[in-house]
Amino acid sequence: MSTLHKNCLAQPGRKKVQISFVIRDEVERRHRAGVNSLQLDSKQGILYSAGRDGIIRQWDVRDNIEATYLRSLEHHTDWVNDIVLCCGGNYLISASSDTTVKLWGLRKENTCLSTLRTHKDYVRALAYARDKEVVASAGLDKTIFMWDVNMLTTLTTTNNTVTTASLPGSKNSIYSLALNNSGTVLISGSTEKVLRVWDTRTSDCMMKLIGHTDNVKALVVNRDGTQCLSGSSDGTIKLWSLGQQQCIQTLRIHKEGVWALTATDNFSHVVSGGRDKKIYMTDLKNPNKVQLVCNESAPVVKMVTTPDMSAIWVATSESSINCWKLRKSDESADFEDLSTTPYNQEPYRTLKGAAAIRKYHVLNDKRTILTQDTEKNVAVYDVLKASKLQDLGQVDFDEEIKKRHRIIFIPNWFSVDLKTGMLTIHLGQDENDCFAAWVSAKEAGINVTDDNLRVNYGNRMLRSLLENWLNRIQTDHGSTETVQSTELNAQTKLDSQCCKIPRHTPLMISEVGGRCLYRMLVSQAGDENDVSILNEIIPAWVMNVIVEKSIPKALKISFYLVPLSNTCIRPVKNGTLRPSRDRLVANDFIQVQKIAEYIHEKLSENDGSGPYNKTSDCISNHLQGNTPEKNFELSCNDQVLSPTMDLRTVKHFIWKSSADLTIYFKAKH
Amino acid sequence: MGGNVSQLERDIGSDQFPPNEHYFGLVNFGNTCYSNSVLQALYFCKPFRDKVLEYKARNKRNKETLLTCLADLFHSIATQKKKVGSIAPKKFINRLRKEKEEFNNYMQQDAHEFLNFLINHINEIILSERNQANCNGKSKSITPNIIDGESTTSSITSSSSQNQDPTWVHEIFQGILTSETRCLNCEEISSKDEDFFDLQVDIDQNTSITHCLRCFSNTEMLCSDNKFKCDNCCSYQEAQKCMRVKKLPMILALHLKRFKYMEQFNRHIKVSHRVVFPLELRLFNTSDDAVNPDRMYNLVAVVIHCGSGPNRGHYISIVKSHDFWLLFDDDMVDKIDQSAIEDFYGLTSDLQKSSETGYILFYQSRDATEISNSGMSESKSSHCK
Repeated sequence: MSTLHKNCLAQPGRKKVQISFVIRDEVERRHRAGVNSLQLDSKQGILYSAGRDGIIRQWDVRDNIEATYLRSLEHHTDWVNDIVLCCGGNYLISASSDTTVKLWGLRKENTCLSTLRTHKDYVRALAYARDKEVVASAGLDKTIFMWDVNMLTTLTTTNNTVTTASLPGSKNSIYSLALNNSGTVLISGSTEKVLRVWDTRTSDCMMKLIGHTDNVKALVVNRDGTQCLSGSSDGTIKLWSLGQQQCIQTLRIHKEGVWALTATDNFSHVVSGGRDKKIYMTDLKNPNKVQLVCNESAPVVKMVTTPDMSAIWVATSESSINCWKLRKSDESADFEDLSTTPYNQEPYRTLKGAAAIRKYHVLNDKRTILTQDTEKNVAVYDVLKASKLQDLGQVDFDEEIKKRHRIIFIPNWFSVDLKTGMLTIHLGQDENDCFAAWVSAKEAGINVTDDNLRVNYGNRMLRSLLENWLNRIQTDHGSTETVQSTELNAQTKLDSQCCKIPRHTPLMISEVGGRCLYRMLVSQAGDENDVSILNEIIPAWVMNVIVEKSIPKALKISFYLVPLSNTCIRPVKNGTLRPSRDRLVANDFIQVQKIAEYIHEKLSENDGSGPYNKTSDCISNHLQGNTPEKNFELSCNDQVLSPTMDLRTVKHFIWKSSADLTIYFKAKH
Repeated sequence: MGGNVSQLERDIGSDQFPPNEHYFGLVNFGNTCYSNSVLQALYFCKPFRDKVLEYKARNKRNKETLLTCLADLFHSIATQKKKVGSIAPKKFINRLRKEKEEFNNYMQQDAHEFLNFLINHINEIILSERNQANCNGKSKSITPNIIDGESTTSSITSSSSQNQDPTWVHEIFQGILTSETRCLNCEEISSKDEDFFDLQVDIDQNTSITHCLRCFSNTEMLCSDNKFKCDNCCSYQEAQKCMRVKKLPMILALHLKRFKYMEQFNRHIKVSHRVVFPLELRLFNTSDDAVNPDRMYNLVAVVIHCGSGPNRGHYISIVKSHDFWLLFDDDMVDKIDQSAIEDFYGLTSDLQKSSETGYILFYQSRDATEISNSGMSESKSSHCK
């Protein structure tokens, strides 16, 4: 406790650190939640998709074969908001709500080469200048950074400092970015509702384009940087002339916010999508010529066209990615119903997504979680095993919860997060103390002979997650462990045991409600590189318990023991029926039979000196030859307590009040 | 003091003195001006006074609560033989000190905290008494022969669905605020209604209450560490939040947030900004689906803070009675000129710490004045029977 405190003081201003893990399959072949961005490598026939599940996936989308999943790029710990392909498809850059920008090598290794931690909030948008190999990133921290891709690729683990200055002047969260191919003009869209146009050579904001009445979420700039198109939450698309510094056309096609835009190279046509789930293709020379491309099943977030403009890949807030055909510009059409009858009824190709978990319920045992996903499937998870136990199919969620309800109270020791569409479990010291849950070995499902043995769920969970790391640092520290081993009693042996959890489980160490400090797989925690990083960033509250073995303190409950009036036991004080005000304190997991034992002990050893007085001999008869719980009946709020019930369960389910618990007892006849 | 009393009568003029009206100061029991000033303001909120007196008339043998003490106090002011004078609210203060530990001392208290406590507490008393009546009614209804009068039956029928029914405290003070939050990622709008007994308004220098109310309803960005947890996105996202008034109360109590916590001083500092409060007010920050957006309000009472901090200084109140304004300073009552209200707007310079400034404003809707007048005559006629 004191060391923990010292450590907090030593790092003023630093946020509390938590440990999190994701319960998932080893290979997640399908997106679990919405898809935020797409990139197409048409030469290789590979589509890249950036998911809200934090995973970037590669798909083989070559013509004339069925589209298939190739592999995943995994290292982000929150939504991936945008991706850009660079250097002819050799590298990918990604931006995430985990506040990082990452560079991925695609040719050989398919791994994350470096992580840029310059942003202080969600990174929402990226832009790429093909001719100059420059990438810009921007987000909710109101800053824009420019990155030289060739410089980024030279970064190594030892030489990884990048100095870059933010383009100054933005006062609002940035939701969209665009760069022309030569990288001379950068445009940003934000909640300021204006477009800011920057000269990247001087870092000056050249102009502000005013006209939209809401957030600007999509931007495209033409090749030479003379015109740009913007899509706004106000529902309009505007074409701007940068030379004239004004809006030259406003398209009101969509009923709701415009979130995605893509245009032909010569700005002859624009394809737009947004919150109304519709995709339109508009001829900018003849803006009355609007073709409804398709009706998507969810709001459209991002689109990429094939180079010949024959088809378009569409990402939505749902997990499937569809490809739709586009009408060729010379194709004749019946103009009348162009904007109401979709060109496609069905998508031409689909990359099927998986369902995202949308609801969860933690059962009273505080280890089983019931979930329901977007397809209404219910599943059962075990937190301690970091695994799914059972798929229940499309059954009634609330009914399944009711079915599994048990009268047992265990304190919360973790929190759950569904932002990635999968179960993420956070262990920390915030509102839920990770070490709050002490349970009997029996309840934890461990076979032991001694009923008194307890396990601490949080301690066990952390040991399981960090098992490989613990093994490494314990062997590194030599034989200190073996010296102690002679003194190891059953309890400490039990404590150091851990449950086997899947080795592919991702493990994250992050600031509470904020930035991720490190991510690895459970299997990697013992790797040399990871061990040294872990040694530095594992928070003190974890160190104290799982390395230095200071046993977490159990929560205490205070209560009053009061004899029932119809028994022959009277409180000493004046022999009245006034409840004895002797306040007792015990660990919250103490069972009712232990309290019975306590009463038994007090009454048999102390005659008159203890808190209770025997007013007749009837008690002594009772005390002989019987086990304590057979001698006394304990009750609370007129309900007889089962001997195996623990104090916190009594308090939570029977007493139901935050005031001190009062338990009544009487001798059995 | 006697001279002062007659001075007030002389100021008003015996022929001008409103019939059935009494102007009584309240004796200070050691820093109880926070209570005195609020009680005077409430006494001159006619709909409230009428309901309290009605309660007194209807409940003769109740056990003592803060409400019975308040009713006794109002009753004793309203039934004084003399027209002016002062009265000691001893029973009320004693009861108050018993009810809430924070007030059980001789320190200066925040008048708004007291108002807030008093209104909520009275409301709870009415609700619990109603519940009790409800229970009794139910037990009675099992043996119907016990029901002995029309009045009892009518109270039972009205009480069957009354738990959600508004109390007269609700009817007078309660308004509804609606907060609309729009997630910037999915652009879904979620709205939530909350009840209020008073609006707590941030203030700016050299502005009017209308301006401050507009700021109150300005769009707030929920961002950085204060993001909005969007149910639709299952994650924290930026959002725009806006609070607007959906139901305008009969009496609109506005609390000007004049005590700001200053980190560098580690205490609350008084903000003496000049904020003009008009005699007539209309709200412009109403929601599109507001029930009664056009309500016009008249200023009827102002609780004024004098001094430099929340726990020091003095509270007085000015009230409008019939066609003139009165200033209540504990046991002293003076007639003031309407133009003197300007003195309580605040200071244009920030240098001076101490000031006499409007702190809680009571605006009464015009339609309520009409209703309460007609309602009063009805209740009088029923009393005569």
